[in-house]
Amino acid sequence: MSAVGEALRELETVVGTDHLITATQGVSAYAVEGQQPLAVAQPGLEAEVAGVLRVAAERNLTMLLRGGGKHLYYGAPCGPIGVVVSLARLNEVVEYDADDLTITVQAGMTLGALQRVVEAHGQMLPLDPPGPEDATIGGLVAMGLAGPLRMTYGSPRDLVLGLRVALTTGEVIKVGGRTVKNVAGYDLAKLFVGSLGTLGAITQITLRLVPAPEDRALFAVALSPARAREATAALLGSRLEIATCDVVTCRAGIPMPASLTNNPEDVIVFLGVMGAREAVVRQNRELQAAFPEGIARVDDEVWARVRDVAYPTGDGCLLRLNLPIAKTMDLMELIAARPGWSAAARAGDGIVYAVGPPDVDVLTAFRSAAEQSGGHAVLEAGPVEVKRAFPVWGATIANTDLMGELKRSFDPARGLSCGRFVA
Amino acid sequence: MLDRKVLKSLRKAVGRGTVLSDPVDLLLYSYDSSTARGTPDAVVLPTSTDQVARVVRVCADRRVPFVARGAGTNLSGGSAPVRGGVVIQLSRMNQVLEIDLPNQRCVVQPGVVNLDLQVALAPLGFQFCPDPASQKVSTLGGNVAENAGGPHCLKYGVTTNHVVGLTVVTPRGETRRFGGKALDAPGYDLVGLFVGSEGTFGIATEMVLKLRPLPESTQVVVALFDTLEAAGEAVSQIIAAGIVAAALEIMDRNTVSAVEASFPTGLPTDIEAFLLIEVDGPAEALDRQAGRCAEICRNLRARAVQIGKTAEEKTKLWTARKSAFGATARLNPSMLVNDATVPRTRLPEVLRGIQEIERRHGVQIGKVFHAGDGNLHSNILFDRSDPDGFHRAEAASADIFALAAGVGGTITGEHGVGAEKPHHLRLIFSEADLEAQRKVRRVFDPLGIANPGKVLPEEVAS
Repeated sequence: MSAVGEALRELETVVGTDHLITATQGVSAYAVEGQQPLAVAQPGLEAEVAGVLRVAAERNLTMLLRGGGKHLYYGAPCGPIGVVVSLARLNEVVEYDADDLTITVQAGMTLGALQRVVEAHGQMLPLDPPGPEDATIGGLVAMGLAGPLRMTYGSPRDLVLGLRVALTTGEVIKVGGRTVKNVAGYDLAKLFVGSLGTLGAITQITLRLVPAPEDRALFAVALSPARAREATAALLGSRLEIATCDVVTCRAGIPMPASLTNNPEDVIVFLGVMGAREAVVRQNRELQAAFPEGIARVDDEVWARVRDVAYPTGDGCLLRLNLPIAKTMDLMELIAARPGWSAAARAGDGIVYAVGPPDVDVLTAFRSAAEQSGGHAVLEAGPVEVKRAFPVWGATIANTDLMGELKRSFDPARGLSCGRFVA
Repeated sequence: MLDRKVLKSLRKAVGRGTVLSDPVDLLLYSYDSSTARGTPDAVVLPTSTDQVARVVRVCADRRVPFVARGAGTNLSGGSAPVRGGVVIQLSRMNQVLEIDLPNQRCVVQPGVVNLDLQVALAPLGFQFCPDPASQKVSTLGGNVAENAGGPHCLKYGVTTNHVVGLTVVTPRGETRRFGGKALDAPGYDLVGLFVGSEGTFGIATEMVLKLRPLPESTQVVVALFDTLEAAGEAVSQIIAAGIVAAALEIMDRNTVSAVEASFPTGLPTDIEAFLLIEVDGPAEALDRQAGRCAEICRNLRARAVQIGKTAEEKTKLWTARKSAFGATARLNPSMLVNDATVPRTRLPEVLRGIQEIERRHGVQIGKVFHAGDGNLHSNILFDRSDPDGFHRAEAASADIFALAAGVGGTITGEHGVGAEKPHHLRLIFSEADLEAQRKVRRVFDPLGIANPGKVLPEEVAS
């Protein structure tokens, strides 16, 4: 038997015959960037995840970790994919302590499923990345995904209290804990959150929750870019406690209430408010007064569209620019001026998403503008040829030597998520 | 003892007048606010990142340990040089380099006192959220190294949630930048990894911090209870009612008595628990929220409930809580501080357990809790003249750690592991968990010279 054949046989003993899909059974549904894996392992227990990582590392099989499989557009082009490790079968709530406002779930549970569990107790996980029904908790934590609510509640790094992580040694470690305050030992949860599966497989996540707001509302107003700049700056610096602040160019294609002007030069500013009823009434009143040009209340469907501007569709490119907050509108205008490009900003976090056709020159121009503004740009999605020509994480990245040492400490065989990240 | 060549190199690195090696000077830097002690071989007072890097390179060349120090308010021995070596005293690096309101950031040096930054920000309508009780003296470098908390972390998060960029002198003597004013620097979250590393991953010499507009309005509710458990239950009910309080603080009878003895505020000294609740945000919502908190307390038979709305009323209600630590320390300067933290639903049983531990070991414990996040401060008093006193305090502290770990809690919520608690980490972490942490430490500090003897327990000999 070939070395690969032996390795697959051994993986089969770890996860069971029914849960190792090989090329002969068809793995095309698991292809990434047109590349099919040798096999797909579907462990159902944490110990099996650890077993798969150990066997694959020992047998020099490379691994790609997979949750829902819909966010695999993210990252640099894949190196060779030996075995896809699907966490989808680990999809249960481990412990939900509602009165403590914490929940522990397995990595393969989707965000949508988690939200339904906690909604029943009047609570929410304040994370709203694109595609909540596709995104698994393990996946969104490994990616560090967030959405419009980030400016108020933070991103996974702020909401994860603890993790269990399977390592290539076959061990499962605990990092962090389950209390909302914890400084016992190093904060290794920060290392694994956003590490894109390059250091280990997150199997279990403990998160802090918040009470669902008593009331909430989303407003939209069409403004000239200059007016939007002034208005968002004033609101973000005010004590009105706006919960979300997104700005999109008209070309972003979000359906608008007819009452808003339809000047193609305008941008649409979406302002979310949430909290106690009296506060929302007051915020509503002040926003009406602040925008004599007319502000419209929009529904949950529009709210979802604003969230999903960062969800790539088709063959286009999705470039994320992280900027000092005050530079947000400058970059919005630069992007909007390019034919075929639209832009959407999470204004409170200095994040601008640029969406447009595959064009390395334009991407390079946007990145260099971001860098000149004190920020950087990451190509979240795009055709693989573009990703090969345009370094996804940046042309020059600080501290890759240190990151490389961290990578070697946890994955010396470099088998995890080959090629996808900076280390 | 350092040989003369090392002292000479240090003087060359920072200038003649800023290296202390006189025994009396060294004694002053041999302790912090914990029980840990250790005499340094030299103290240096750098004034720039470059000087810090030069000092660390001297240490790295000679394999000499170094310990960064701010105001020495550390409660776990983080700034005590338990293995000797060089204390790098950062109080001369005390400039706020930039307040950048349009970007909601500021850039500070490590020696800036937390409250000094707040005082600079408040007239501009902004704040840096972390507000450790020590904020009048503790420095931002120390806050970052320890991932400091404070009463208002309940709503706004701890230090790590508010740090976005760092300039770090690594234990190899290199100067690196992690993160910056923009979020999500590509690669691993080195800022997040560094914050709370207790001086073992290097020295932050510049820090980029997030700023946030001050809340428009606040109200404070104080309730006095005849049992500690009732106060704990009130906290649970307030959280369960969906009220996101800005602070939820409890003091026990011992602490209230100590406060009244030192800084009288007119509280009855026969109550078992003092509960303070602060709500903040747009003014319209606060009357109902504060009213609901007061109602929960009354339903739990609070002896008295007061709501403070004016600045004067609020300051008065906070005064007792803010004096707690100092008052307890005045009662008995020998104090072991335990800050075990538990899931909030386990508070009532843990409070009962701590009272039982107090009886079992015959020690007096002043209990001051950031109850809203389950963070308990058990101030265990002991008498240094009683040879058994310290041991009984340590035994009581160990029992509290075990109690907290047993209900899914942790051994430290905000004070750090330092020199006092490394061995207690085994209550919550396996050897494999600890080995993962050691791996990361070795990446940052391959020579083992950055604050040795802190955070992690020694490896078990195999």
